[in-house]
Amino acid sequence: MTEENVIEIHNLQKTYDKGKIKALNGIDLEIKKGEFISIMGPSGSGKSTLLNMIGALDRAEEGTIKVAGIDLMKTRDLSEFRSQEIGFVFQMHNLVPNLSVLENVEIPMYETRVKSEEMRRRALELLEAVGLKDKADKNPTKLSGGERQRVAIARALVNHPSIILADEPTGALDSKTGDVILNLLKSLHSKEQVTLVMVTHEPYVAEMADRILHVLDGKINNSS
Amino acid sequence: MIKNPFRNRTRATLAIIGIAIGIATIVALGMVTGGLQSSTQSTLKAGSAEITVTKIGSGNFGSSGGVLDESLVTDLKNTNGVKDTAGILRVNSNVSTSSGGSGFGSMGGFLVNGIDSSKLALVGIDSVNGTIFTNGSSNEIIIGKTVAQNLNKTVGSTIDIYGTEFEVTGIFESGNFIYDTGAFTSLSTLQNLTNNTGKVSYIQVKVNDNANASQVSKTIQDERPNDLSATTAVDQANRINQSLGMIDTASWAISLLAIVIGGVGVINTMIMSVFERTREIGVLKAVGWKDRRILGMILGESIILTLVAAVVGIILGIVAVEIIFKLFITSQSFEAVLTMDTLLKAFGVALLVGIVGGLYPAYRASRLAPTEALRYE
Repeated sequence: MTEENVIEIHNLQKTYDKGKIKALNGIDLEIKKGEFISIMGPSGSGKSTLLNMIGALDRAEEGTIKVAGIDLMKTRDLSEFRSQEIGFVFQMHNLVPNLSVLENVEIPMYETRVKSEEMRRRALELLEAVGLKDKADKNPTKLSGGERQRVAIARALVNHPSIILADEPTGALDSKTGDVILNLLKSLHSKEQVTLVMVTHEPYVAEMADRILHVLDGKINNSS
Repeated sequence: MIKNPFRNRTRATLAIIGIAIGIATIVALGMVTGGLQSSTQSTLKAGSAEITVTKIGSGNFGSSGGVLDESLVTDLKNTNGVKDTAGILRVNSNVSTSSGGSGFGSMGGFLVNGIDSSKLALVGIDSVNGTIFTNGSSNEIIIGKTVAQNLNKTVGSTIDIYGTEFEVTGIFESGNFIYDTGAFTSLSTLQNLTNNTGKVSYIQVKVNDNANASQVSKTIQDERPNDLSATTAVDQANRINQSLGMIDTASWAISLLAIVIGGVGVINTMIMSVFERTREIGVLKAVGWKDRRILGMILGESIILTLVAAVVGIILGIVAVEIIFKLFITSQSFEAVLTMDTLLKAFGVALLVGIVGGLYPAYRASRLAPTEALRYE
């Protein structure tokens, strides 16, 4: 792995349904540290599967995948990797409903050795960055869709990850709110110098990235 | 984690009620056995007689069986190791209890014991509120605390026994539930009144400080094998303890049942909870929570649920026993006792149910594949 590549993938293969469905069919990909990448492709093309592979939510059957210097094919327990290196933003915000906004942002820090006062300080700092400091004690169910997604972004950044993985982060939002979220992601990406990999199927969203990858039938078709 | 078990209020409440009933039963039975145990222990009071001698074939205290010749009281006193003896004649009073009140001591009158007033210590009566009766006096009686309460008698009141008016000179509390629900009067008075001159129902034997009660009991028994039956207070206590042991066994059986039924309830509640929170668990995994932490969270929730049930169950059990005692048992000599043992057992059972019931759902939650969980709708 070169110094500047944060993600290196070679011939990555993944099948579902006992080999009947080839979700990834030999992916080769290198992503530099600090890059903003969009992944596009039709439904079922394998873009979400690729994102899950990078985030170590799932394991490939063949090939190599190294993320932030860690060989994901050989490491047994990947929970620490997920906690330290990856921040997820899902299409559905996926907040825990009976915890406060602040507690939701603190969740990823439970697996770290961060003290509770520091956890609180860091969570509030990020809520301020996404403009929701005043709603820290509210329940997420009291928030609008856009606000929830901003909480999810704060949660993704709380452990200073090297990579943010966003799976259609604006997919469930109206275009105006979606733009706010995208601008937020983009500004945090440059401010925190974090690598941002975003799955989307909206071209204008993809255009914001440094590079667009087109995934089709489990392969990277071309990149632009 | 503390709030999680109660997200679905109805389900949590039902699960808690299920376990709480089991715990309440354990507590209630524990309180009754605890009460019986403490009243058994108080019958083994220092200073009172260790051996009870009755005519062979008669009941424990000779109230229904044959009578003994009073001369035996002196004879037994000469047995090796015996310090003192007291002959007691026991009859049932014919007092009708129109004053109401149910329970022990008021059913078909109460037991009247005739004894030499100097020997009251042998039956555990050390102090009397008032004065004790005089030997040979025809109409003085001391009554147990329970009788006094049930019949609403105080010092100076009169009681009709076998057609004769007796004046209550004192009220005693021996701590022995059988005595406290009875009365004591002069032996000769009672003998004359009931045509039992020279007869006693049983003899209380106190052994020397250095003598072995079981040994002395055996000697008495062996000397008159066809005539007398001698039991030590320890024997009696053991016999009662055996019955208590049965209640205790029943209580353990109920505990086991509570564990099984409660356990199944908790498994159901927690599996449903895990099922509903599949997506949330997926998120927790995605943000880096280890399987162990997720296992701990679900197990913890299960234990919180059962510990809440334990508190509810303990309160329920205490309230139930209080109500039952208030309604059906007026006797003051028998009280339910909540021991530390019972409390520990209740919490222990709850904890066990929490662990047993929570383990499988927690394991399932920890093994969820994050991608599957996140896809879950």
